[in-house]
Amino acid sequence: MSQIAGEPATQDFVEVRLPAAGAYLSVLRTATAGLAARLDFTLDEIEDLRIAVDEACAILLQQAVPGSVLSCVFRLVDDSLEVTVSAPTTDGHAPARDTFAWTVLSALAGKVSSAVDEDKTVSISLYKQRGAGPGPA
Amino acid sequence: MRTGDGPVRDEERGTRELPAEGTGGSRRVGDAVDGPDGIDGIPEQARPHPQEDSVELGFLDGGQRDREGSVQSTPLDGRNGVTPVRAEARARRRATGGTMSEHERNAEGDGQGTQSVQQATPHNAQDRSGARAMFIELRELKDGSAEYADLRNKLVRMHLPLVEHLARRFRNRGEPLDDLTQVATIGLIKSVDRFDPERGVEFSTYATPTVVGEIKRHFRDKGWAVRVPRRLQELRLALTTATAELSQQHGRSPTVHELAEKLAISEEEVLEGLESANAYSTLSLDVPDTDDESPAVADTLGAEDEALEGVEYRESLKPLLEDLPPREKRILLLRFFGNMTQSQIAQEVGISQMHVSRLLARTLAQLREKLLVEE
Repeated sequence: MSQIAGEPATQDFVEVRLPAAGAYLSVLRTATAGLAARLDFTLDEIEDLRIAVDEACAILLQQAVPGSVLSCVFRLVDDSLEVTVSAPTTDGHAPARDTFAWTVLSALAGKVSSAVDEDKTVSISLYKQRGAGPGPA
Repeated sequence: MRTGDGPVRDEERGTRELPAEGTGGSRRVGDAVDGPDGIDGIPEQARPHPQEDSVELGFLDGGQRDREGSVQSTPLDGRNGVTPVRAEARARRRATGGTMSEHERNAEGDGQGTQSVQQATPHNAQDRSGARAMFIELRELKDGSAEYADLRNKLVRMHLPLVEHLARRFRNRGEPLDDLTQVATIGLIKSVDRFDPERGVEFSTYATPTVVGEIKRHFRDKGWAVRVPRRLQELRLALTTATAELSQQHGRSPTVHELAEKLAISEEEVLEGLESANAYSTLSLDVPDTDDESPAVADTLGAEDEALEGVEYRESLKPLLEDLPPREKRILLLRFFGNMTQSQIAQEVGISQMHVSRLLARTLAQLREKLLVEE
């Protein structure tokens, strides 16, 4: 965990970077589940997050530049966990919102948004609300 | 349906035992041995359901036949006519007749040993005191003698229904019933060997925990794809129970913190337990990693061995080398395996360096030619 420079409030984030290849997704899935468990999400929410992150990465990997780096940032905002996955892509298309994958994603995470940078880096953000209220910190 | 099965089964056994009363002697032992065989003939759905409490209690005692004797008399008195159930039971008895007489023959052939058992047990060999007397008899016999083995087998066969009943309580938990029955039978054999009739407890009282323990041990040792320590296996069970309970209480699934509080353990331990649950079943290496298109783990492992191509050359060269004259063979060996220069070879073999060069060139040309022809 490290502090973000320039942010007014102290805010911690966790970033995981891995090769943009399907074989490494299991690492991210495990990291997501471990993090969510320690942030006192319920068991069901942990499973949801695990699948949601996996699904988001799968969408990105379809157009990711081969050999590039997939980055995943976890941030705790109020009572929800914000997960942003991003990767440089070849086409720079925003993910289509009428696909099955996107429907799954929004069903699992509640709120989903996507963004495309000028350098064709596509990012998908998930916001997962904590169901059980704030934990013991 | 379930409750109906109990009497049907008892009655069936009753009809089989009736003739035994008349014949007496070795015939009774034959019946005692026949018990398990007859039960094997009953189709699965006709057996009493293990979850049925009333049946369960009755059947637990059923290792000794007193209770069943009293049960059997009621339906028999009530129905004198041949009901379909009884007809069926008779038919089945006829069907198992072959094995029955075989056991009888065995019983008859036992000779003195069996006779002494009969004299020592004035009751039906299958009731409580009969079993007890047999155990006392067993303890008196010399370990390893033929009579000992015979009586021990008899006692084990006699209690097989108890084993089957206990094994059935654990079915539908991912392990084949046949495996469970086998494991449970091992437990029964162990308890027959260890049972001390002087202690004053019934054999079934002693055997049941042993058999159940054996089944549970089977689940612990063999149920998990990757074996994790017993502590974690039990933690996983506790977590499953606690999760169900807390979900009921809160109307949502519990958090790690709540689970830790409930089980009075640390959150790290809860996480450890949850992770160990992954080891219960494993995925095949051939399962696609993320979705159907992605390659399976097995496909990403291993690569073509480049030396594989050399195998063919080496193997086809071998007989050709064997055919070479000794001198040429020696020169080749010194040149390519001894790493010697042509002049060194010339000194070694005692010919001129020119000659070595010519011989080498000719041998290699011959080999190459033959190799190509062979292909």
